[in-house]
Amino acid sequence: MSTLESTNVVPAARPSLFEQCVTTVDHKVLGILYLLASGLFFLAAGLEAALMRWQLMQPHAGKLDPDTFNELFTMHGTTMVFFVGMPVLVGFGNYLVPLMIGARDMAFPRLNALGFWLFFFGGLLTYYSFFAGGAPDIGWFGYAPLTAYAFSRDTSTDYWILGLLVSGIGTVAAGINFVTTIVTMRAPGMTLGKLPLFVWMMLVDAVLIIVAFPPLTAAQIMLLLDRSLGAHFFDTQEGGSALLWQHLFWFFGHPEVYILVLPAFGMISEIVPVFSRKVIFGYESVAAATVGIGFISLGVWAHHMFAVGMSSTLDAIFAGATFLIAVPTGIKVFNWVATLYGGKLRLDSPMLFSLGFLSMFLLGGLTGIMLATVPIDWQVTDTYFVVAHFHYVLFGGTIFAVMAGLYYWFPKMSGRLLDERLARWNFWLLLAGFNLTFGPMHFAGLLGMPRRIYTYAEGNGWEVWNQLSTLGVIVQGAAFLVLFVNIGRSLRSGKPAGDDPWDAWTLEWATASPPAPYNFEVVPEVRSRRPLWDLKHPDDPDWRYE
Amino acid sequence: MSNEHHANTNPSGEPAASFELPAPTAWPIVLALGICLLAAGVVTNLAFSLLGLMLAIAGVRGWVLDLSPGRAHVEEPLVEPARRASPIVATPHKIEYLRPGMSGHRMQLPEKVHPYRAGVLGGLAGGVAMAVIALAYGAISGRGIWYPINLAAAMAIPGFDLGTLAELEQFSQTRLLLATFIHLMLSLFVGLIYGMLLPMLPSRPVLWGGLIAPLIWTGALHAALGVLNPAMEELVSWPWFIGSQFAFGIVAGLVVVRSEKVYTSKLWSADAPVDPLHPHKPH
Repeated sequence: MSTLESTNVVPAARPSLFEQCVTTVDHKVLGILYLLASGLFFLAAGLEAALMRWQLMQPHAGKLDPDTFNELFTMHGTTMVFFVGMPVLVGFGNYLVPLMIGARDMAFPRLNALGFWLFFFGGLLTYYSFFAGGAPDIGWFGYAPLTAYAFSRDTSTDYWILGLLVSGIGTVAAGINFVTTIVTMRAPGMTLGKLPLFVWMMLVDAVLIIVAFPPLTAAQIMLLLDRSLGAHFFDTQEGGSALLWQHLFWFFGHPEVYILVLPAFGMISEIVPVFSRKVIFGYESVAAATVGIGFISLGVWAHHMFAVGMSSTLDAIFAGATFLIAVPTGIKVFNWVATLYGGKLRLDSPMLFSLGFLSMFLLGGLTGIMLATVPIDWQVTDTYFVVAHFHYVLFGGTIFAVMAGLYYWFPKMSGRLLDERLARWNFWLLLAGFNLTFGPMHFAGLLGMPRRIYTYAEGNGWEVWNQLSTLGVIVQGAAFLVLFVNIGRSLRSGKPAGDDPWDAWTLEWATASPPAPYNFEVVPEVRSRRPLWDLKHPDDPDWRYE
Repeated sequence: MSNEHHANTNPSGEPAASFELPAPTAWPIVLALGICLLAAGVVTNLAFSLLGLMLAIAGVRGWVLDLSPGRAHVEEPLVEPARRASPIVATPHKIEYLRPGMSGHRMQLPEKVHPYRAGVLGGLAGGVAMAVIALAYGAISGRGIWYPINLAAAMAIPGFDLGTLAELEQFSQTRLLLATFIHLMLSLFVGLIYGMLLPMLPSRPVLWGGLIAPLIWTGALHAALGVLNPAMEELVSWPWFIGSQFAFGIVAGLVVVRSEKVYTSKLWSADAPVDPLHPHKPH
């Protein structure tokens, strides 16, 4: 840092957009690249889902052959979890965390760039399998022995392993970067007790990434050795264990659910207070519940395995742990509701999507508690009831929160407001389409419709539910079309947003929209959890009360 | 990592004329491409792996050289005034004081809640009342006191319906421990919910906690169990089950409601300031 007098500041020639993208180490540009890349993969995953619903709309449909259907559900799940859900949240985290804590960049800017490119190339490598003889057809959790060379002789499973390995390294790099940034680069005065809740949740999220990904990486390397070099880790014929894969995979897989949902919780915890014009109810308990969720989420993985025939004792322990995780999650929900209670609600688009998140995630959570009960799980496992449950959690939770975050922070990223009328159309179409798609799946599942089947016979009572689900996908497609139109129009001719369009309270709103490369001309000293409130109301600051 | 990431101003207190930021570099993308090709070669052709290895080595070398003195950072000049953040405008006004009933941005509603301790005690007391009713049912119905306990354990033990009625009437240490754990956890959980929710509900909290909540819960359970677990539904005596739910609700509600309330937050009290310009409007 220097002054004009003492530094030879060279105004460099402006590089092309492409050159900027491939050489950037700016957390904001990388954040936007994450969002764009995940948007691209989202389109692919959406197309895969639409094709599946098209096939399942009628019994005995022959639009897709079974192998293609297997490839579609494998790639849809893999894409949504690894190449849409995580990157979109890491993208928001990348963009917002340094701004929220008053830093100029992430702790390791170049590692940040490496992480993004590894994720992106990992995704491309996985998708290249479509052009290399066929996509993976093993389900997104690739159970042994289906992945063994005996049952998967082509290279599709190898592409799946290698693509996820490469992108997983990038995700771990991002996790390390977040932890270091949040622990070491906070603005003066910003103690852990004054961290914005989104940052708290990104911190716990990053720790979960660092803990949960290595077992998956290890399992995938073991699987690669099985397939390529004749090892027998998961080959039961040669003394291996198919169950070992499930344990390793789900030891990653269940924390992964929270890796996907914690940043969404963080977004909601930022948005709800601003649009209720009240401080968050019980800041400490929200932060503590986040840490609690992080810990407990590492001890519930085997609830995905109730049906494999573990002992009753193990089943009971994991059922108990799963019930337990409902407690901190419930605390959060109550905190959000209590923040809304008595507030002066502004029902702008970020708030609408936040309310959508609250109601949809609650429904997903309730069916989750049902599934934690072993006898019920035995009854409905591997049916569409489970598909409905996790879509209510991950779509109704994460995607709705991401939409809320997009409408909330887009003005900061672009300097322009999104059209509120189109935003409402987007919200109501998405809410209707989402419930129309996934609500009926509960009933199809209870009527015994197994997941992953490519067709079904008439007479089981499944037809009407499948037709409704397919109709819902069309409505959802319309919703996302409205979103893309809105973004395009806004970027072309949207109303200027100003620095702080929502009259918010965290540090990112103290920067220009979009922020300068260095983020802050002057980093404000932080004295409370609402630093901008303190600056706007010097006669009535929060720090007097905290 | 810049060790000056929070340095803001020059000695005169003005923003600096430039800021030291990490220099743009293409080596991360080169390294990532190298790693990706290294992996791709495993399933395509080892030539790709070889190329990937070369790229990865080049990427690491370039990255290391990038970190040498004078190359790691660039000086980013202060953007022109039009692109800078607007100064934050303070809203100077005198302070009035919140009065009960007046809305305020810092007010935590409800203003007072029952302490967590009351929720825990309420949950425990309600749990005991519920257990008494359930055991009474076992004794009166002639199936024995272990029957309701074993049914509760069956929530978590798969394959319970393989057990005969006679087995469900026998003592089982595992089932007793499991049922106790489940009952204790659920009682504490619901008790805590009562402690948090009852102050937010309209008047007559005991009516909400003792009658309405158990009715909703039992109704939902009755509807769900018929679909999800018909065998279990046949084994449960619903009148007694509803009775035990009411016992829990009433006892837990009474314990919670009779506890002394505490302020939810020190952020607001009747002496806390409020924005006098908009006491009833959002800031």
